[in-house]
Amino acid sequence: MKRLSHWVFTVLSLITLSSCEEETPKIVTDETAKDVTGDWKVLKLTRNGEDLSKRLDLNDFQISFKADGTYSLSEQLPFVVNDIGTYRLSDPQYPFGLILQPQGDAAEVQVKFQFPIIKGKRQLSLSFSLGCSSNTYQFDFERQN
Amino acid sequence: MKRPFQKLTYLYLLVGLGMTLFLVHCGLTALTVTVPKEAKANETATFYMHSGAEPNIEEPNTYTTQLLAGIMVPKSWNARRNAVLTYTSSKGNGTLRMIPDSETEPVSGLSWHEAAKKMFGIGPNLIDDFEWIIYRSTQSFTFVNNEHETADLSFDVKVECNVGSENMLVSLGFYVGSSIENLRPEDTDYKKFTFSDPLEIIDGEGDLIDFVNPQLGTVQPVKSLDNDIVTLTFDAGVTHTDLDDMDEIYLSAKAFDAAGQLLDEISTRDDKTKLTGVGGKKFILDLWPRGYFDIQKESRIAKLEYFYTDATGTKKVGYGNTDEPFTYTFRCE
Repeated sequence: MKRLSHWVFTVLSLITLSSCEEETPKIVTDETAKDVTGDWKVLKLTRNGEDLSKRLDLNDFQISFKADGTYSLSEQLPFVVNDIGTYRLSDPQYPFGLILQPQGDAAEVQVKFQFPIIKGKRQLSLSFSLGCSSNTYQFDFERQN
Repeated sequence: MKRPFQKLTYLYLLVGLGMTLFLVHCGLTALTVTVPKEAKANETATFYMHSGAEPNIEEPNTYTTQLLAGIMVPKSWNARRNAVLTYTSSKGNGTLRMIPDSETEPVSGLSWHEAAKKMFGIGPNLIDDFEWIIYRSTQSFTFVNNEHETADLSFDVKVECNVGSENMLVSLGFYVGSSIENLRPEDTDYKKFTFSDPLEIIDGEGDLIDFVNPQLGTVQPVKSLDNDIVTLTFDAGVTHTDLDDMDEIYLSAKAFDAAGQLLDEISTRDDKTKLTGVGGKKFILDLWPRGYFDIQKESRIAKLEYFYTDATGTKKVGYGNTDEPFTYTFRCE
């Protein structure tokens, strides 16, 4: 009887320990790659912290990121790029920048990238300067599909 | 075991309260400033702050601190690099150094410069393109009770700063304080601040930037390029014009390149050119110049000339309520 209980204890201990080994790394590396594909519509636009969204008609402005690594813009509006092109994130899991490469333009453009969840919905937040570097604009987008 | 600790806590509290009471009367006298009425662009101007100490400290305590002094100047002066602050006093003369950005003001948790901007604002100026910069003396001073009754504890802080290249009319901000204190709102003893009478910078570049007087027409941000989004404001409350009591105000504008060549003119009266009333007889129009005007991709708008008109286009108001247009030059520096 003693032997049996000893075996049961050993087996249970091994199961417990082995399950621990599997769980711990999962928690550490569970950050998913950020997926920005889709059509994004402007929710809010600020200039140097001042909200301009209610004063400017931004309804038709949309940016689309496709799975093939290209982006397009729906309408000519003040934005950091004006032409279609390709995009990538500075890091797939922990990006701090979105890098845009407009077609026919050698220079890449990097903008500050944030990807918060606000009121249960994912938002895409891009910050950059359009003219003078002293003026900062932040576009907050919401996914359309 | 608890009792000695409790006693120690009470002792600390008592000492803290006592210290506060001792020091609460050790303050600064009112701050006055000497600022010239005008200064030439690109030259160094000199400003003076005058104040003094009034130490009422319970003996035998003393109060040891460093002098803080701050200035609020237009960002375009680049004062962080250019300004030099020195002081003279009966306790010695010396220099002040800018407090590092990494050092936070304890009450706000912001840097001393940001905390000062939040606390003191921009005074009588109407357009915000200013920075507060706070300096600390390299030497410290020790005061004893009622020292001011037997000795002269007044001091002067001298500020020397290049006033930049732009023509402007501006009110400057000044502050003096004590380094072992903070910028708590309720304190009136250790922080003294004031704003100067208007200083005009003459013989410089560009249109006069009037920070002080209410303007019929303003453009924000003060510095921008044609790819920025700019906000044009018409303030009908500033003076009587032909557009008094009009409900609808429109923009009539021309865009020029750096060579002075006309790129486009828009003088229609429609939704695109109509300003929005925001109350208080103020009307605004936000526009992206590169999209508002019909210009080639390679063209750059260097300057705008514009009037405000009524719905018929027959009544129009220009710069200073004259027939001359308002002008706005696109620039970052």
